Amino acid sequence: MRQCFLIIFFFWANLNFAQQTFPTNGPSNHQLQRFALAHATVWTDPEHVITDALLLIENGKLVYVGAFKNVPAGYTLIDQKGRVVYPAFIDLCSDYGVKWESKNSLRNTHGFYSAKRGAFHWNEAIRAEEKAAAYFSPDEKQKAAYLTAGFGITLSAIQDGICRGSSVLVNTGSSIPQEAILTEEATMNWSFNKGSSTVDYPNSAMGSVALIRQTFYDAKWIKTEQESNISLTSLAKNQYFPVLFEAENKWAVLRAAKIANEFAAKNWIIKGNGDEYQRSKELAAMGLPMVIPVNFPKPYDVEDPFDANRVSLADLMHWEYAPSNLASVNAAKIPFSITMKGCEDGQAFLKNIRLAVQQGLPVTAALKALTETPAKLIGAAAICGSIREGMPAYLIVCDKPIFEKEARVLVHWNGSHHIPVNFETDLPVTGVFELQSELPYQQIQLTQQGNKLTGKLIGADTLEMTVSREAGTYQLSWMPNKKAALHCTMRLAFVQQNNLLQASGLATWTEGRTLPVLLKHLEQPLAKELLKQDSVALIVPQIRFPFVEFGSTKMPESEEVIFKGATVWTNTSNGIIGNHDVHIKSGKIIAIGKNLTSATAKIIDAKGLHLTNGIIDEHSHLAIYRGVNECTQAITAEVRIGDVIQPEDINIYRQLAGGVIGAQLLHGSCNPVGGQSALVKLRWGQSAEEMKIKGADGFIKFALGENVKQSGGGPGLRYPQTRMGVEQIYMDAFNRALLYEAELKNNPTACRKDLELESLLEIIRKKRFISCHSYVQSEINMLMHVANQFGFKVNTFTHILEGYKVADKMKAHGVAASTFADWWAYKYEVMDAIPYNGAILNDMGVVTAINSDDAEMGRRLNQEAAKMIKYGNLSEEAAWKMVTLNPAKMLHIDHLTGSIESGKDADLVVWNNNPLSIYAKPLYTFVDGICYFSVASDLKLRAEVQQERNRIVQKMIALKQQGVKTQKQISIQDENYHCEDEN
Amino acid sequence: MKTKLNNLPYLCLFILASFPLFIAAQEQPTYLVGGTFHIGNGEVVSDAHLLMMDGKILELSTRFDNQIKNAKIVDVKGKHIYPGIIALNNIMGLNEIDAVRATRDYYEVGAFNPNVRSAIAYNTDSKILPTALFNGIVYTQAVPQGGQISGSSSLFYTKGWNWEDAMVLEDDGVHLNYPDLSASNDAPDLANNAQKQVDALVLFLQEANQFCALAKPPVFNLRFEAMRKVFAGKTNLYVHVGSAKGMLSALALIKDKYPTIKLVFVGAEEAYQITSTLSLYRIPVVLTAIHRLPMYSHEAYDLPYQLASILLDSGIQVAIAQAGSWESRNIMFHAGTAVAYGMDKEKALSCITLQPAKILGIANRIGSLEIGKEATIVISEGDILDMKSSKISTVYIKGEQVEINDVQQALNKKYRQKFKLKE
Repeated sequence: MRQCFLIIFFFWANLNFAQQTFPTNGPSNHQLQRFALAHATVWTDPEHVITDALLLIENGKLVYVGAFKNVPAGYTLIDQKGRVVYPAFIDLCSDYGVKWESKNSLRNTHGFYSAKRGAFHWNEAIRAEEKAAAYFSPDEKQKAAYLTAGFGITLSAIQDGICRGSSVLVNTGSSIPQEAILTEEATMNWSFNKGSSTVDYPNSAMGSVALIRQTFYDAKWIKTEQESNISLTSLAKNQYFPVLFEAENKWAVLRAAKIANEFAAKNWIIKGNGDEYQRSKELAAMGLPMVIPVNFPKPYDVEDPFDANRVSLADLMHWEYAPSNLASVNAAKIPFSITMKGCEDGQAFLKNIRLAVQQGLPVTAALKALTETPAKLIGAAAICGSIREGMPAYLIVCDKPIFEKEARVLVHWNGSHHIPVNFETDLPVTGVFELQSELPYQQIQLTQQGNKLTGKLIGADTLEMTVSREAGTYQLSWMPNKKAALHCTMRLAFVQQNNLLQASGLATWTEGRTLPVLLKHLEQPLAKELLKQDSVALIVPQIRFPFVEFGSTKMPESEEVIFKGATVWTNTSNGIIGNHDVHIKSGKIIAIGKNLTSATAKIIDAKGLHLTNGIIDEHSHLAIYRGVNECTQAITAEVRIGDVIQPEDINIYRQLAGGVIGAQLLHGSCNPVGGQSALVKLRWGQSAEEMKIKGADGFIKFALGENVKQSGGGPGLRYPQTRMGVEQIYMDAFNRALLYEAELKNNPTACRKDLELESLLEIIRKKRFISCHSYVQSEINMLMHVANQFGFKVNTFTHILEGYKVADKMKAHGVAASTFADWWAYKYEVMDAIPYNGAILNDMGVVTAINSDDAEMGRRLNQEAAKMIKYGNLSEEAAWKMVTLNPAKMLHIDHLTGSIESGKDADLVVWNNNPLSIYAKPLYTFVDGICYFSVASDLKLRAEVQQERNRIVQKMIALKQQGVKTQKQISIQDENYHCEDEN
Repeated sequence: MKTKLNNLPYLCLFILASFPLFIAAQEQPTYLVGGTFHIGNGEVVSDAHLLMMDGKILELSTRFDNQIKNAKIVDVKGKHIYPGIIALNNIMGLNEIDAVRATRDYYEVGAFNPNVRSAIAYNTDSKILPTALFNGIVYTQAVPQGGQISGSSSLFYTKGWNWEDAMVLEDDGVHLNYPDLSASNDAPDLANNAQKQVDALVLFLQEANQFCALAKPPVFNLRFEAMRKVFAGKTNLYVHVGSAKGMLSALALIKDKYPTIKLVFVGAEEAYQITSTLSLYRIPVVLTAIHRLPMYSHEAYDLPYQLASILLDSGIQVAIAQAGSWESRNIMFHAGTAVAYGMDKEKALSCITLQPAKILGIANRIGSLEIGKEATIVISEGDILDMKSSKISTVYIKGEQVEINDVQQALNKKYRQKFKLKE
C-alpha cells in the first residue's frame, strides 16, 4: 500500500514539475526531459568519484547516480566518455544579476539623517530592508564569466553599504529570473564600508564597527515595538539567516569575528581578501568559516628603480605568496569556500585556482571549497553542492579534470537544461585517424589545445593543418606546397558507427579536383600527453611578524637577561644609580643590585650605558586603521580605537627604535566627546588584541576649543560652534546618561541598549577616564566645573598649553597634564603657549607628561623631555619621569610599568648616552622582557629587507621581460595621524 | 607687590634691560675672553679670546696680550661661543598663526611668481622671531611658498626695526617647486598633471630665458624680468624637490639647458640615491628636516637622521633647516640628532652656520667666527646642539648685545610669581 502511494506521489510530482505562473504564447511545449549521461568520471562529492558512471536526469532531478548500467528506454543517451563531471561550483560572494543602483549621485547631499524617505533606518548605510532578489535579473555578460569558471550557482547581493540586505541564491544558467532563483533570501550581507550612503556617520572604520554593534542591539530591541522601523524589523525577522560579512583584509576579518562573538553568533561567514596566510593562526582561532578570493596580483612593473622603491616589501611578498594562500588556509583548518570575486573573468579564475593547487592546495580541498562547503554554509546542501539521487542536477561537465592545465567546462547542467559553455564537439574527435583516399598521405592526427583543434597530415612528409568547425562539420586546411601558396581543404562529418569513430567527406585537391575521403579512428591520443603540467616550484611562504619590513620571521620571545653595570634611572626614591645590574625574567624585573648572577641569563654588558624604563606616550595616534576621528557627531562615545588597531604600522617599529614601549592610542579632537582609547604596548608582530594592555582601565577622548567648534572650516552647521555650546553638549550628555541609568534600573528589559550613553555613564561612575584635548584656560576651568557637578574628576588634560595659567586649579582638581614641550603658534588658541608650561605645572605638583601626538616626534620624546631642562630648569630625574613614570600614572598603569623596580614589567631601554641628551640613542628596547628592537637585530633586518626586495624585484623584472603583463604599483604608506586630522 | 605686578603689562618686565632692544651700531670694542669658540668651519678653539670692533670680528686668538684700550672685557670662561645660527627655508616673519588666514603672507595666487618678494613682507614685529633669537637663531631666510615658482626669498636678522633694517641679503634666490613625478598608472590624472606642470615649467624657462637674453626687451614682463639674475647665476634657483627622479629631471631640464643657473635642491629626501650625480654637478642641498619619518617603510628608521652625513661624506654641500615658522627654533637640535647618528659635531654646526652662508653666497660676511666677518655671535651655557645644555645667555648682532627675552619669558615670570614658584 505504502509503495503504491509513493508511486502515485511520484507520478503527480512528475506531472507538476513543469508548472509555471507565466503564460506561454501558443501550445505548450512539454518535453520528455530524461537524459542519461554515460561513461563519464563523476565526482559526486569531494571524497567520492565514480569512473564510468551513469547519471539519469529526469525533470531536472538526478534519479540515478552510480556505475554504468543499461540505460532505460526513453532517456536521451549522451556519451560523456573521457569527461569529468562535478557538482556545479557555488560562489557565495557575487553580484551576479543584481541591478541595484544607488540613487545618491542624484541627491548629492550630506547630513545627519538618511536621504531615503520613509520609515527606514536613520542611517542609510543600514539597508536591511533591501532584498537582492527584487533587483535580480540574469545578465548575459556576467553569466558567461561564471559559467566558464564552473559556477552554476551564485549567492548574489547588493554590493553597497554596511548592511546590504538579504542575498539571493540563483543558478547562473537560467535566463528567466523566476527559474533562476533558488532561494529568495539566503543570507544577510554586511561590510564595514558605508558605500554610497550620504549620511556623514560613520566616516571612520571604528564608526562602522559602532554602527554595526548598535544596529544588532537595536534589532533585538525593536521587537518591543517602541518605534516602527522597516529596516530594523527586516533585520529582526532575518536574524536566523547566516550573516555574510565582507571584510577587506585579515585584520578586518578578525574585527568582524569580534562582533560575531559579542552577539554569540555562530552563523557568520566572513569574506577575506586573500591575505589570510599572513595570520592563519588567529583566523583559525576565530572558528568562523570564510570565503576567500583568488585575486592574485600581477607582477609589478619595477624595472625603473625609482618605481621599485615605491613598492613595499609587504606588496612584493604578497605577490609571491598569494597563490599559496589557500594551501595555508587549508593547512590551518579554516573552513573556507572560494569566490571568483576580484578575478578578471572565468578564465583568470580557473588559472588562479590551478595556481593555488600547484602551490599545495589539495584537489579535494579545492573541490570541497567550491561545492560542498558553500552549500552547507548557507543551508542549501539539499539542493546543490553534491551529486546525489533526489537532488536537482546542477552539474558541470569538463573535458578533463578541472584543476589540470587548460581543462575547460564544456557544459553546465541546470536542472533539465544543459548550457554549452565552450566550443564543444558532440564527439571527441581527437586522435589518430587512418586516411583512406587518393591523397598521398596515410594518417591524420587531430589534437586539442585549449579551445583549438589542430591537425597534422602524415605521409612521406608531415603537414600542419588548421581545423575549423561549422554546423557540426569540420574543415581541415593545409598547404601542400608553400611556395606555390596552394590551399587544400577537406570537409568532414564525424559519425560514430559500431563503436568506431569515422569521418567522411570531400577534399579539394590541387588543380581544383575533389576527392572523397574517409577517416577511421585508430587510437585515442596518449592520456599522459594531455595531462602534462608545467612543473612549478612550490613556494613556501616565509611569514613575517608583522608582515611588513622589519617584521621578524619568528615571533621574538621573552628572555632572561642581566644588564651589567648600567647607570640605572630607577624613577623611584633610589634615583639615578651608577654601576648597577638589573635582572629580568619571564617578562618581569626580578632584581636590581650589584654583581647579580644567573646561570641561565643572557648577559648584556651595560657598562657606561644607561638603563631606563621605556618611554610611554600618553597621546599617540599610532597604528590606527582608517580614520582617527569620527567627526560626524558632537558625541561619539560609542566608537573605540580598540576596534581599529593596525598592528602592522611601520611606525610602531620606529617608536621602538626611539625607546618607546607603550602608548595611549587616542581618538582625534574633532568633537567634544570622541571615542574610547586603546592602551597598548608596542608588541611588534603581535595581533591587535595582543597589543592591548590587559586589565587596563578604560579611557576616552574629550576635546575643547577650536577643533570641536570647527574653526578650521566646514559648513559651520554642527553644534557646537562656540565654547559656550561645548559646555552645553556636556551638560546634556551627562544628564542623558543619568536618565539612561535610571531607565535601565526601572525598565531593564524594554530599555534600548545605547552604546553612546553607556560609555558616558561609565565616566560618571568612574569606570572610564577622560583625556581631554584642551588649550585655553577658560575651557580647562569649565570642564573641571562640569566634572564636579556630576561628581567625577577629569583624569588628564592633554595638550593643555595654557595649563600654566590655571595650574593651581588643576592641582586642586587633581587632574594630570600631558603637554607638548614647545609647540605653539599653529592656531589662535595656542598663541599664549610657552615652553615653560610643563615645568610650571610640574613645579605646582601636577602630574605632568610630555606627549607626541605625532609618530615622528613620538620617537624622540626623550629630546622633548630634555627641553624641560632647557626651558624650565627641571632636574634630569624630573624631566625623565615626564615621559615614563608620569604618563604611566595618568594611564593608571604605574603598577605595571614606568619605573625600574622588582616585580614590574621588564619594559626597558638601554641607551648609549644620558637618555636626555640629544646624542642618546637606544641600543635595546625590551617590552615585557622581549627584545623588540636592538641595533644589532636592526642591522640584520635591514640586510634581510634589502635582500628580499631585491630577490622579488629581480623575479618581476624577468617576468616582464618574458612578456608577462605587469601592473604599476605604489604601495600605500601607513597613515601618520594627528588629533587635528579630519578623519 | 604681587597685585601691582599683575596689573603691569608683561612687556614692561624686560624693558628694564640694559642693552638695546634692536640692532644698533657697535659703540665699544668688546673682548670675549675664555670660553670654547666653535668657529663654524669645523674647528674649535678653546680658552681663546675674540675681539669685536665696529661690528666685525677683529681678532680670535689664544694669546691675549695687545689689548685695545677702552675695550669692554666679557668673561666667557666655561661657555660655548658660536656664530649666529642661520635658519634657511622657513616662513618666520611671513606667517604668524598657521590656522588664521589673515596672518599668512607667503602664498601668492598663480603658478609662476618669481617676481613676488618676501623682502617687503617680512614682519619684524612677529611674535615668532624672538623665540628663534632666544635659541641663537640670528638669521632667517623668508621663503615664499606655493605655485610652481613661489617667489624670491631674502635673508634677514631675526631682530630689527623694520624689514629694511633687518635685511641681510635682499633677493637671494627664486624658489621653484618641482612637479611631483611619482604618479602612477593608477592615478592617470596625477601623471597628466605632473606632465602638464613639467611642460609649463619648460615653456616658462624657455620664454624667460629668451627675454632675459635681451638687455632691453621690447615687451614688459615682471615675471620674466625677475628671472634675469637667476639666469645670470647671480642668485640661486632653489628647486624644492624630494624624489630622486624629480632631481634627475630638474638636472636634465634646468641644469643642462641653462648651465649658468646656480641650482640648490631643497628637501631632497631621496638625495641618498643619487649622491654621485649631486656631487658631480656640485649641487648644494638644503635638508628641510632631520626630524622626520622615513619616506618608505623599507628605509632604515634612522635614514633621515643620517642623510646629512651621507651627503656630506659624498662631498655634497649640506645645510640643515626646518621648514615652517615656529618650528624653526629647533634647527640646532636637528643638527644635534645628526650627530647622534654619526656626524661630527662641528660639521653639524657648520650645517647651520657656514654651509648655509656659503649656499647664500655670503660666507665672506657671515657664517663663522673668522676674522673680518660680521661679529654676530651666540654664547651658550653649554653645547648648543643638545637641548639638555643649550641655554643661550647672550647674543651679539654686529658687535652689539641684543635683548633675547620676550613674551614667552615674560609669561613664565608672571605666572611663576603668581604661584610663588622659584624662577
